[in-house]
Amino acid sequence: MNARAKIKARVNARGRLLLTGLTAALLLGGALLAGHGMDAALLRPRFGLAALPPGPGYPFGTDALGRDLLARSLRGLETSLLVGLLAATASTLIALLLAGLAMLGRAADAIVGLAVETCIGLPHLVLMILVAFALGGGVGAVVAAVALTHWPVLTRILRAEFQAVLTADYVIHARRFGHGPWFILRRHLLPHALPQLAVGFVLMLPHAILHEAALTFVGFGIAPARPSIGGLLAEALGSLSAGWWWLGVLPGALLLAAVLCLDGIASGLRAWLSPRVAEA
Amino acid sequence: MSVSAAGAAGLRLPPLLAFLLRRLLRLALLLVCVAALAFALARAAPVDPVEAFLGPAAAQVGPEQRAAIAARWGFDQPAPMQFLHWLGKALRGDLGESSIFAAPVAQVIGERFAASLALMLPAWLLGGALGFGLGLAAGAREGGWLDRAIRLYAYLLAALPGFWLAMLLLIVFAVWLGWAPVCCAVPPGLLPDQVSLGQRLAHLVLPVATLSVLGVGPVALHTRAKVAEAMRADFALYAFAQGAGRAEVALRHAARHAALPALTILFAGMGELFGGSVVAEQVFAWPGLGRAAIEAGLRADVPLLLGIALATALFVGCGNLIADLLAQAVDPRQRRRA
Amino acid sequence: MLPTLRRLAALGPALLLALSLAAPALAAPRSELVLALPGEPERGYDPIQGWGEYGHPLFQSTLLRRDADLATQPDLARSWHLSEDRLSWDITLREDARFSDGRPLTAEDVVFTFNTAAKAGGTVDLSALREASATGPHSLRLTLKAPRITFAESFFTLGIVPAAGYGPDYARHPIGSGPYRLVQWAPGQQMIAEANPDYYGPKPAFTRLTFLFTGEAASHAAAMAGQLDLVAVPPSLARRVPAGMRRVVVRSVDNRGIVFPMRPAGDARSPTGGPVGNDVTADPAIRRAINIALDRRALVEAALLGFGTPAYGPADGLPWSNPESRLPDADPEGATRLLEEAGWRPGPDGIRVKEGRAARIPLLYFAGDSTRQALALTVAEMLRPLGIAIEPEGRSREDTRRLMASRAALFGWGSHNPAEVYNLYSAASTGHGFFNAGHYANPAVEAHFAAAQSAASLEASLPEWRAAEWDGRTGYGMKGDAAWAWLVNLDHIYLANRCLDLGRTQIEPHGHGWPITAGILGWRWTCP
Repeated sequence: MNARAKIKARVNARGRLLLTGLTAALLLGGALLAGHGMDAALLRPRFGLAALPPGPGYPFGTDALGRDLLARSLRGLETSLLVGLLAATASTLIALLLAGLAMLGRAADAIVGLAVETCIGLPHLVLMILVAFALGGGVGAVVAAVALTHWPVLTRILRAEFQAVLTADYVIHARRFGHGPWFILRRHLLPHALPQLAVGFVLMLPHAILHEAALTFVGFGIAPARPSIGGLLAEALGSLSAGWWWLGVLPGALLLAAVLCLDGIASGLRAWLSPRVAEA
Repeated sequence: MSVSAAGAAGLRLPPLLAFLLRRLLRLALLLVCVAALAFALARAAPVDPVEAFLGPAAAQVGPEQRAAIAARWGFDQPAPMQFLHWLGKALRGDLGESSIFAAPVAQVIGERFAASLALMLPAWLLGGALGFGLGLAAGAREGGWLDRAIRLYAYLLAALPGFWLAMLLLIVFAVWLGWAPVCCAVPPGLLPDQVSLGQRLAHLVLPVATLSVLGVGPVALHTRAKVAEAMRADFALYAFAQGAGRAEVALRHAARHAALPALTILFAGMGELFGGSVVAEQVFAWPGLGRAAIEAGLRADVPLLLGIALATALFVGCGNLIADLLAQAVDPRQRRRA
Repeated sequence: MLPTLRRLAALGPALLLALSLAAPALAAPRSELVLALPGEPERGYDPIQGWGEYGHPLFQSTLLRRDADLATQPDLARSWHLSEDRLSWDITLREDARFSDGRPLTAEDVVFTFNTAAKAGGTVDLSALREASATGPHSLRLTLKAPRITFAESFFTLGIVPAAGYGPDYARHPIGSGPYRLVQWAPGQQMIAEANPDYYGPKPAFTRLTFLFTGEAASHAAAMAGQLDLVAVPPSLARRVPAGMRRVVVRSVDNRGIVFPMRPAGDARSPTGGPVGNDVTADPAIRRAINIALDRRALVEAALLGFGTPAYGPADGLPWSNPESRLPDADPEGATRLLEEAGWRPGPDGIRVKEGRAARIPLLYFAGDSTRQALALTVAEMLRPLGIAIEPEGRSREDTRRLMASRAALFGWGSHNPAEVYNLYSAASTGHGFFNAGHYANPAVEAHFAAAQSAASLEASLPEWRAAEWDGRTGYGMKGDAAWAWLVNLDHIYLANRCLDLGRTQIEPHGHGWPITAGILGWRWTCP
């Protein structure tokens, strides 16, 4: 391929990714708004409408107590997304803080490195179970467990980035000029880290959401305070042999669709932030 | 002890062995840190330690007995002392007694881990083999329809909730089609020695299938990248110039190039494998360590929870160690941060 | 397309089932059964730690047992006599009882069991025991600290363990004189029992039993796949009966109800670790309003799918309950009047408020139990129009124990003896297990309890038990303190193989599936 065609292909690829990202964002946003706008009565038990399969008026069917499954699934998705956002934000901030601290000296770096390895040394779910247990096992505990356990990987990446920046010539010159660590952080490290942070944040979201779903699925959080996809699927497990397949299949499918949308948004964002990445 | 110190002491260790020693020491340090973290988290829980210790029997114990238990087990001592006390016993093999199962923690973990292993090992091997095969096929013809299909598959897999996949498989193959048993490790009603291998295998099929499918993604993608890279390398060009077909080059040369990295990914993914096993065990009612971990966390069985934290950290640590060793073997120039 | 495909695919297992059932029809009558019951005793089969607390512990024998009509029948005990001063029981034992390791059962074993259980805690009732002592190789005397008529319940529920063979590992390898002995137990999976050849009673028709403890869902699925002969199912799964099985519905005194914290919130800590008191439920108007607003018949339909009956007290239908204590329910207007009069006015969001306090009541229930969850959610829905916000919380047993003194909780009880009523409402049982979670204490009720306990016999004690529920002025029942809002009595639903004849079933107590085994000696395989 000649140079012009190559550039055209690159622009096309980038454009495609941006479009995908935008579409995904619209889909997800639309679904959430629709869920929020649904009648609250659909979420409560309704006698006489128990265990209806998907059909007219009940796109996702109803559960054993007559609650509309689509309404509950969308609400659950909203919860999962909120938890995911909270978790990704908290983890990103923690990662930034720790990576910054690690730059203060060899001892600090060693400690941060040890902390990262300790948390990575446990299977993620086991660490989350420990944190959720430590905080009482309720809804807040689940949120905290997800929020406080996703920082290690990003911390590692940021640390490596910061190391690279600190050994760059311009930073060494800045130091020689007498600029303090705070200046270095603000003017050199942060701007370099921001794209990584943004991408890291968006990549963390699907993981956080899936982990939140897994935690509530195995029984943490408090049913039935707020519907969550994991909780819905855990309940569905008990009725599979009764033939109520929609309780298990549909909420999970919705979660899958949402995570795919998020992945689409992530690629769109990457394409927007660093065009070269679009080639990958 | 670093290589230089060893040299100074007059020992000449081969670099790989020195690396191994360093990593083992690091692993030991890591385990202590994990133990400290787990202990701190367990202590922070809003659970009365005497209640947690006694489990259901707490209902019948009077205040004087509670005080006696607290004194004997050191619940009234400061946390660091308790931690050292517990760690000391753990090093001697005494992890305490599980309040849920009323049996020594070490015994519970041993039994449950064996059951989990029966699930994880075949899934690990199968997932690895499948992932490698798919990655090979994808990388051999980069950009082809197979490559795109496999990349799409891996992409979907990463977005899939593992427990949902397990439930789907359960619905389709066990409930609707009735081809696989609905739960458990053995058919009901049989003593362990009466269960045939065929029956055991039949019960393994669905859970192993679930776990394998979930583990395919990372291996496939990494293998694909390595294979694609190899196919563009010089020796591949020479082979093509001599008339070899793409498939032949892929199988002969690229596969070898990608094998060790794939293995590295496999070993590094043991933590994720365990996580997948936790939810698979829940869906298929498999009596493994994952389910025990959940029970311990939900029902405040602190000794069991701590024991499981240690055991799984050891499991993951060994996996990472082997992965690092392999990575070293592949490219010793890469000074990985120890 | 999908439903057709599904129907076609569903033929597969049905076909296999038909084939598999046809085969044994040509063979000899079956002597092995596979059952799935929900209540696996995780800590093992040790009566001293609570195994068999509702009777019929399968591996061990008890002194007495109840037959299908709930009449007392001798089991290990040949005679039992309460002294004039009501402080001691003289018991003689049968002489042909043997443990499954061959050793004969003597008075020493019974004495050992009672003394050990009293020290270990066991049930609250055994705390009344001062000492058990043997008066001969097959006779013993149980001496009480004070008269306690409910003590006799332990004769039905305390399995006898061997003095010589009892150790820390007993729970996993029990030795008893009951009709079956434990062969293998894989916790969380299954337990296999075989008939005890040395058993002194009638020979059971089934020599081998396998119990599956795989949870509601997996058990029902195994039944659908034709792998089980008997399974206890929740109402939601009761309508799907696989071919070859029939549904058996057994009446029970197994009830579900809501216990309210009776004290206002304060600084006190309960023996189980959590705070004590709840300002909302401490208000008697709230408790009475909830009791009369609920439509229990609708609750049975909605949450139990019709498999149950309304419950107004802990022992409905049993001789020690007092029907006089009931108030008519399904009366939301009456409840509204009560609340208005007591000062609970509707707030801006519809929830009633009094003195700045909103009528929000957290309601605990054991997570994972679909029936309790259904009840909790339906109750919350029913009370919403009233302006009371019930907030259900599915929790583990351990968490529930910690929190139940300050939150309402949905529990299940139901036994064949007034001992349970005493345990639920007496101040003495606070902190023991899940008894008296609400910290209820009423001196008049205590006085009736004391009088009942010192009665000469169970029959003589009945008027006092009834008075405790309502004596015309006060009581723990609906008309009095309304300490609980009892909801329903469950029907126990089983799916049983068509060839399995369960004989006559008793009105079952609470017991997580085990009560069906009470009549196990009378089970027969009816297919040739």
